[in-house]
Amino acid sequence: MASLSSALSIAAQALNADTGALQITDNNISNANTPGYTRKLPVFEEVQPTPDGNLDYGSGAVLEGYQSVRDELLQSRIGQETQAQGSANAQLATLQQIQPTFTSSTQDIGTEISALFSSISALSTDPTNSSSREAVLSAGQNLATAFNTVSNTLTSQQTALNTQITQDVNQINNLSQQIAVLNPQIAGLEASGQDTGTLQDQQDQLVLDLSALTNVSVTQTPLGITVTTGTGTPLVVGAQNYALETVPGSSGDLQVLDQNGSNVTASITGGDLGGTLQTQEQTIPGLLNSLDTLANQLGTAFNNAQAAGFDENGAAGKNFFNVPTTVAGSAASISVALTNPAGIAASSDGTSGSDGNLATFAAIQNDPLPLGQTPEDAYASVVYQVGSLADNAQAESTATAASLQQLNDQLSSVSGVSIDEESTNLITYQTAYEAAARVVTTIQALFQTTMLMGTAAAE
Amino acid sequence: MRVADLVPDAEYSIQQSEQTLAAALKQVSTGLRVNQPSDDPAAAANYVTSLAASANVDQYTKNITALTSQLQTADSALGSVVTSLNTAISLGYQGGTGTASTSDRQAIANQVQGVLNNVVAQANTSYQGAYVFGGSDTSTAPVVEAATAYTTAATVQPPLTATQPLTPGSITTVTDATTGKTFIFTVTPGETISDLSAAVANAAANGTLSAGTTATLNANNQLVFTSGSSQGIVVASNDPVLGAITAVSGSQVANSYAYVGNGNVNNVQVGDSLQVSGNLPGDQIFTSGTNVIGALTGLINALQTGTSTQIQNATAAVSSALAGVSQQRVPLDNTISQLNSQESYLGQESVTLSTNQNSLVDADLAVAATNLAQAETQNSAVLAAAARVLPQTLLDYLPPA
Repeated sequence: MASLSSALSIAAQALNADTGALQITDNNISNANTPGYTRKLPVFEEVQPTPDGNLDYGSGAVLEGYQSVRDELLQSRIGQETQAQGSANAQLATLQQIQPTFTSSTQDIGTEISALFSSISALSTDPTNSSSREAVLSAGQNLATAFNTVSNTLTSQQTALNTQITQDVNQINNLSQQIAVLNPQIAGLEASGQDTGTLQDQQDQLVLDLSALTNVSVTQTPLGITVTTGTGTPLVVGAQNYALETVPGSSGDLQVLDQNGSNVTASITGGDLGGTLQTQEQTIPGLLNSLDTLANQLGTAFNNAQAAGFDENGAAGKNFFNVPTTVAGSAASISVALTNPAGIAASSDGTSGSDGNLATFAAIQNDPLPLGQTPEDAYASVVYQVGSLADNAQAESTATAASLQQLNDQLSSVSGVSIDEESTNLITYQTAYEAAARVVTTIQALFQTTMLMGTAAAE
Repeated sequence: MRVADLVPDAEYSIQQSEQTLAAALKQVSTGLRVNQPSDDPAAAANYVTSLAASANVDQYTKNITALTSQLQTADSALGSVVTSLNTAISLGYQGGTGTASTSDRQAIANQVQGVLNNVVAQANTSYQGAYVFGGSDTSTAPVVEAATAYTTAATVQPPLTATQPLTPGSITTVTDATTGKTFIFTVTPGETISDLSAAVANAAANGTLSAGTTATLNANNQLVFTSGSSQGIVVASNDPVLGAITAVSGSQVANSYAYVGNGNVNNVQVGDSLQVSGNLPGDQIFTSGTNVIGALTGLINALQTGTSTQIQNATAAVSSALAGVSQQRVPLDNTISQLNSQESYLGQESVTLSTNQNSLVDADLAVAATNLAQAETQNSAVLAAAARVLPQTLLDYLPPA
């Protein structure tokens, strides 16, 4: 049978439920700017109706709890894009520092190569002119210095990246530890059937931070998430986290080891660490190798040209450049071997006035070196190489930023807090609360009426 | 789509718009479209090769300037030789008339002697310390008075012996004024003074040197080169074992000259595929071929001892030498005018290259300025839109509670 008291208890339930919903809304509004926060929706449920003869009276509604509005697929795509962006940005940062050394325009290698050939051409008009000879030697010296400078810049950049690697690995270990701590907490809440939204938000944010540092892959298990990097190197399994380590490799570059001491450097391809390792292990060595090859072959070509002629005193030409026997390190260590300008083997017939052998030197400028290009074309290729690496990193960074923006829009569309929406909800729950309160007042009045039935006051 | 928050989108748009604005501003303020290789890797690479080509063109232009002066020096020396030969010819005509007395002829011979000295001086013209008619051997005067005997110094230590090893790689030359040829002895390891003597005898036997030319050690341990011909020889060596080799005092042969330069030319690059020779070997002009010195010596001898006919013949020989010199000047003049036209070509080339460089890396200012204006407009629009939209919430419209 319907009763005033049951109506009152329905109203009281409604007041409770609406207070809860207001609190959830309030929490959403408070966390509108919390990174990684997922908006929560109050879950109202109709209470089982009370049967009364042929009638079923509704028993009102209760607040069952709240539900976090999540999209795990979007989360994981954001993770992937964040890895790609971290890698691109790390590469771009170094390449932008390297770039200017290749085209400083006054002292770069390209300018010094053409200055050396110009000085040789100038010497051909007057092979006995000692200042022209001196000019060739100093142009050679400048070229060697340009090679040394660029090579040293690259090497010191390469070494400086070690600091970045150490920091990245420390952060990865730190984040892994925090993720591992959350795993049993989330599992515990899930076991008791509670919403794990808040802790999951924290964990998702930590995984995202981790994605900015390295390539991670996340799998759900009953014990919480398992996080791996590289090709399956575990970082977090259940409540356990596994720390990465860095050790100096043979070349002085830091190598990354997993918890078993196996070298996993090559498998780390994403995030800041991936990009930094890519720059340190691939990009810079590639550029150094191009420079070393050019320095070695150009130096050797000059030495061969020297050997084909005679110096100012009629003696067979000696080496112009000191070139190491191995290609590696040639750009760093190339230097001018000749100390006396008279040692330039300009002569083809042994007389001091002959410039016949200078044609052999001039030919180096136009003939392909063993690497398949003329020295200037080879250097232009290196410039192209540097430029396009930086350009690609830039393009990758821009593209991932745009893509991340899209994905974040989508995620925000699903999980983000809209102040306007929450304000509307606030009005809805406020109105509902007011209505429930009015019900209480009304029932109270009805009780009064009932109490006064048959008394004087009723008349 | 549900939109939760406009701030991230607005931030992103502002960022994008400001990047575009910064790029446009950089282009306008630097005037460059390519500030670093990553702005346009292909253009940056082409710029490197184009700069190298420009450096070559600049150097070719400088080479032309240097060569032109050098060749003009040679040309004006030959011009002076032509004037001298004309003088010698008119002197020859005076001396060749039947009315000229012996003493007149002697006086004329003396004047021709002066002409010869002038021609020898022209043959030894140098430009900035380099002899222009010596072939690639620019460091020694190419035309040298010959002597019948040359000797090493008496003070050479240790005293020379037949078995004395010479310095490997050193070169000793004997130039014969009669044959006009030069015998060159390059020492190979183990060769001694007796090998040198044998080689000289061999050269005298095969005709490089006049028959009877020898190089022998005398009682004072001096190596003495003796000419087999009355015209004499010129000897030079850079071997420190032999030391300085000088003409024996009094053995110089008057009016007999040998060419000690070589026949090699120095080629200088003045274009990517254009080389010109920067000097002129003088042997074909002065001592053989046209043989200006020979013709003048002949005229002097004819004036001193010859008949009118002989003087007339000698004068005719000087005339043909004059024609020869004029002919030799033609390629020289051609080279000079070739250099002039190459210089103006290089001037154009330099302009073409710098235009090319500009188009590779320079910003088109009209385009850059337009881009900047567009970027500015877009940036203001983005900022204005953000300013209008972001502060708006439903709360603005709700009555105060």
